[in-house]
Amino acid sequence: MVPLLYYQLLSAALFGIGLYGVLARRSAVLIVLSIELMLNAVNINLIAAASYLNGIGRVIAIFVITVAAAEVGLAFAIILRMYRNRGTVNVDEINLLKW
Amino acid sequence: MNNNFLLLLPEFIVTGLAFVVLGLDLFLPERRKWVLPIVAVVGLVVALVVSLRYLWGVSDSLYDGVIRVDGYALFFKAFFIALGGVVVLVSVDFVRRNLEHPGEYYGILLFTVVAMMLLAASGELLTAYISLELLSFGLYVLVAYDRYNAKSNEGATKYILLGAFSSALLLFGISQVYGLLGTTRFDEISSALSSADALSPGLILGIALIIAGLGFKVAAVPFHMWAPDAYEGAPIPITAHLAVGSKAAAFALVLRLFAEAFMPIVEQWQILLIGLAVITMLLGNLVALAQRNLKRLLAYSSVGQVGYLLMGVAALAATGSGGIMLHLVAYAVTNMAAFLCLAAIYNITGRDDIAGMAGVARRAPLVGLVFAVSLFSLAGLPIFVGFTSKFYLFNAAAAQGLLWVAGIAIFSSLISLYYYLQVVRQLYIEPAEDAAPIPVPRLTLGVLGALFAGMVGLGVYPAPLMEAVQYASDALF
Repeated sequence: MVPLLYYQLLSAALFGIGLYGVLARRSAVLIVLSIELMLNAVNINLIAAASYLNGIGRVIAIFVITVAAAEVGLAFAIILRMYRNRGTVNVDEINLLKW
Repeated sequence: MNNNFLLLLPEFIVTGLAFVVLGLDLFLPERRKWVLPIVAVVGLVVALVVSLRYLWGVSDSLYDGVIRVDGYALFFKAFFIALGGVVVLVSVDFVRRNLEHPGEYYGILLFTVVAMMLLAASGELLTAYISLELLSFGLYVLVAYDRYNAKSNEGATKYILLGAFSSALLLFGISQVYGLLGTTRFDEISSALSSADALSPGLILGIALIIAGLGFKVAAVPFHMWAPDAYEGAPIPITAHLAVGSKAAAFALVLRLFAEAFMPIVEQWQILLIGLAVITMLLGNLVALAQRNLKRLLAYSSVGQVGYLLMGVAALAATGSGGIMLHLVAYAVTNMAAFLCLAAIYNITGRDDIAGMAGVARRAPLVGLVFAVSLFSLAGLPIFVGFTSKFYLFNAAAAQGLLWVAGIAIFSSLISLYYYLQVVRQLYIEPAEDAAPIPVPRLTLGVLGALFAGMVGLGVYPAPLMEAVQYASDALF
């Protein structure tokens, strides 16, 4: 069997890519996409651990998928409201509130 | 598996109440919607009475430890129900004047109360995560509630992007801890950590990410960037709910997590928490000095308060945990009073910056008095509850040996006194531009009176509260 460490490294690599996306992207939509990538990396980690430990990781993964879907719905509703008001989804340009 | 679901009766009552409020909103005509906050408050009072009557002295759990019903959970349940009630009362006038769709507002507010209650009762990482997410989702929507206001949209966007990011960090930490220890229950994590001889790098990463994720939720530095914008953009009652409720709920989780699950490795995380506490205290209070908007000032001041609470968590021991809970209650009462005063002033003048407070003490004497008292209490001046709670918190930290951290806390308290006094100066000394008296609704005056009595009464005679806190922290250890 493939050692658990390899799955954890894959999950960490995907998480890192998602982390870079959140920090480097300017469009709010792409930031939400990167957050989704991070959450899916967590899912891989959970399911791999569950297969090795025969534990509740799969149950946690199902909860995470549900919560991620709900979160994306909320995030896009708020971004849509901001787009309708300001005309942009570029997070650099929404700077009414500073310091 | 016999589960006594009657132990969850308060949560069921508040959830049912949320659905009742949403359902009533569907059928009530516009002119009768003033009924909704009354229904909410009455329901919350019923839930409070039920929880105190039936859960006093109970120490039990459901699902074999996943949901704990003990003195600690009961203390926070009662606290959050009372807090929800006060937020509803603060919102009544504000929502009537400034926001649409009151039914959904009160319904979502009640769902956040349920989430806070479950967060304090969770004995396991997944339950904690789900409750935290329910609380966060409700707050994302409530911060964005002022739909056509650009500041509300911007604050909500920053809040949800950083909030989702932080919950992803928290979740990765949970998955690492689960993968390497094999369990998510707090008691089993504790026994796994005490039997492990050395911490693997993956486990250190997992615990560090959990601390980072929770640090975002309480707005500790360097994870505080969302707080001033979300506080400034949100409607004032929701700013109060964010500042008090979500922080207290996250600290309820942090206390149980660190006291139960992570206690065996206390040397490793104590120094990290001390570092976070010091930079949070200093940065929160120093940046607050430069603020011109009152909501932002209160946001940075609450970041500073989080620093004191983190110092209390770092000094966690059987004797120290009471100080944190006492400070949370004191901070809640004081901040609610401050935000209610701000809401009362904003509803009439439309100003929420510091210069807009000029001469308010002459225009609305009672509001000015309670505002000044709450600011003095936040600074930690004697006879008010802020002094009592800070004294016990700093005492607990010093008793654990963190003398220099307590010294820095006292120093940053002195810094905070300066900016609180700036606001008091505007209230009492500066002349008003428009000397018309500010009409304050009787409900607001009543709630302000109760909060004022709380601040002074608990400051002079804190014994009943301290007994309750002692009861709660006994259940924790």
